Order: sequence, then C-alpha cells, then structure tokens
Amino acid sequence: MEIFYLSIAFFLLLTLLAGLWRVLRGPTAADRMLAAQLFGTTAVACVLLLAQAFERPVLRDVALIFALLAAVTAIAFVRRAWASGEHSDAAK
Amino acid sequence: MEAMTSLPLMTLMQLLFDTLLGFALLWLGWRALASPDLFQAIVLFIAFGLLMAIVWVRLDAPDVALAEAAIGAGLTGALLLTTLARLEAKNRSKSALEKKHKVWLMTENVKLKTASFLWLMVILMLLVSGLVYAVLTLQEQTFELQMLVSKNLESSGVSNPVTAVLLNFRGYDTLLEMSVLLLALLGVWSFGGIPKPHESLPGPVLNMLSRLLIPLLIIVAGYFLWVGSDAPGGAFQGGSVLGAAGVLLLLVGWRLCIRFVGLPLRIILVFGLGVFVSAAVVLIFLGRQFMEYPPSVAGALILLIEAAATLSIGITLAALFLVGRPEFRRHK
Repeated sequence: MEIFYLSIAFFLLLTLLAGLWRVLRGPTAADRMLAAQLFGTTAVACVLLLAQAFERPVLRDVALIFALLAAVTAIAFVRRAWASGEHSDAAK
Repeated sequence: MEAMTSLPLMTLMQLLFDTLLGFALLWLGWRALASPDLFQAIVLFIAFGLLMAIVWVRLDAPDVALAEAAIGAGLTGALLLTTLARLEAKNRSKSALEKKHKVWLMTENVKLKTASFLWLMVILMLLVSGLVYAVLTLQEQTFELQMLVSKNLESSGVSNPVTAVLLNFRGYDTLLEMSVLLLALLGVWSFGGIPKPHESLPGPVLNMLSRLLIPLLIIVAGYFLWVGSDAPGGAFQGGSVLGAAGVLLLLVGWRLCIRFVGLPLRIILVFGLGVFVSAAVVLIFLGRQFMEYPPSVAGALILLIEAAATLSIGITLAALFLVGRPEFRRHK
C-alpha cells in the first residue's frame, strides 16, 4: 500500500510540473496566480500521501498549513496586485 | 516474501520522487531568479516554497517543513505581491517625471552597471567560498549530538527534541532570531509612514471567507504553540500562522484602532523578547546560569516563553505587512 501512495504522490508531482507551463506562458497574471493556487492544492494532497506512505501522521499538520495559507496568498493577489490593475501581458 | 519484493521497488520509487523533486526545485529557483517579469518571479517563488516544504518533509524534518510552509509558501508570497503592487503604483506616478531624465539615467546606469557588477561578483564569490568551506568542514558524525540531546531530553521539560534544542539547550539562537525579526520591523518602520490606503470594501465572498478563516487561523496558531512541546510545532510556526491571520485582517481593510497603535502595539511587539530575557535574567538572581532552566519548572517556563513569543512573532509579521510605521497616519 505504501508503494501505491508514493506512486500517486509522484504522479501529483508530475502534474505540478506540467502546471508550471501555465505559470511560464501566462498570458494574464490571474492565469499564473491560479496555477500557483493549484500547486498549493496539489502540495496538500502530496504531503497527505507522504504522511500515509511513511506513516508519519505529523506531516498532516504541514498539509493543514498549506491549505490555510494558500487562501492568504490568493486574497493578497486579489486585493492588491489585481485590484491595482493593468497587470496583464495583453496590456503591455 | 512480499515484503522482500516490494522493498527495492519502494526504494526505487523514493529515488525517482526525490530526483524529480530536487531537479524541479533547482529549476524553479533558477527561473524565479532569472525571470524578467516580476509577477512571474513571485509565482515561481511561491511554487518554490511549496516544493521546498515537501523537500523538508522528505528529509524527515517536519518542524522545518511547517515553518517553510507557513513563511516560505504563504506569508512571503503575500508580502511580495503587496510590495509589487506598491512598486507599480509608485512607478506609474513617477514615470511621467522620469521620462525627461531617461536618457541621462540610461548612460549613467551603464557606467554603474559594470562597476557594481564586478563588486557583486567579488562579494558573491567570497560568500560562495565561505559556504563551501562551511560545508567541507562540517562534522560528519552528528550522531553524537543526537545522543547528547536525547540523553538530556528529560531535564529539558519538553519531549520534542527540536523544541528542547531551540528553547532550552541553544536558547541563544532563538533569542537572537527573535531580535532579528524585531530589527527587521524597526528597519521597515524607519522608512516612514504608511502610504494612504486606497482600498475598496471587501465583497460578500471575501467578507464571509475572512470571518470563517481568521478564527480558524487563530485556533491553529494556538494548536501549534501547544503541540510544540511534544511534536513538531512551536513558537515560530504558531507565530507565523497568527501572523497570517493578521495579514488577512489587514487585507480585508481592518486597521488597528488608533488608541492601540502607540504604546500598546510596541509592548506586544517586544513582549516575547522581554519575557525571554527576563526569565533568563531572573534565573541568574536565583543562583543559576543565564538561561539555565531548572528541570522542575523548565516545561512551564518554555511554554510561557513560547506563548509570549508566538504573540510577538505573529504581530511582528503582520506589522511587517503594513510596510511602514502605523502611527504616522495621525499627523497627516
């Protein structure tokens, strides 16, 4: 069962790297930020799987922090970077 | 029999995972530094923080992973995004003025660039050689240190070895770290007052979300503070989660009542450091060494210091987010 968890975690890491394409391409700031938010969700799943694979329940706390603080980054983006506006590559 | 066959497969899978993780981390670090678009660099930095936390998980250092997840992936991202927004607002207002001087600035810049580039290279080379020296002279067997910690763990008052080292055996480190954080805030404050906020009211979604999330963040901060004595967690982790709650409050437009901005805020900011130092000094008068906690009360003392530190760290991080001394607004 451990090997199954670890394989899924590996797969999630691969999807995370695939998501980097969106960060690099954009085209708008929102696309990039949403990709980062998706990474946050992936990282939560990844850490939870690692917690199961290596039987370290402590690691669930790391996932908890990921989940809680991803929202703070998103809100900072919406309230500051996006609200101040004109941040899209299309406008350049 | 089954365990025998699945074992090499497990090692192979771990190797694959770690290799991919390592290369992804290096690539992200390089891209974040090399990216010409600052916003893209910030997003890459957030992703870097996430992967870094997973790396700490793989290195079996959950305490560091917690701190990295909270500060590296969470708070720093929000801080950088806010800074970028402020930079851009400043650039827009300045750009009209600078257009006139643009040609002059450019020629001056080229001259500066070659000189400063050389200096930068020299400083970086010194830094790199220092780091290489530090790695090369690293003691290979840290096992003795581990033994030393686990042998003395009982007299430390806590059962989490990391907390025992940070708050008891090597309390100096934590004390100095907290002073560094306070100094950083003083540095930011020395730049002057906060610019006039031009914020819209939060919409219904953000309003609801902040009402749900902030109490949760405060509870989780308390959880990390409490759990720190016998599991990964502690003042820095709890403090950064508390700081995130403060940042969220500031983001939705909440501001500290003007009555509390002066002395009360400053008292809370130095509270952690104050409790830490006074506990250490009081022990001298009781006939012990500086920071030598008596084993009978060590657990309670560490919890007291950590509680004060959590509060101070959280408020300091939130105050850093304001970028500027809050008191200044009164004069304007």
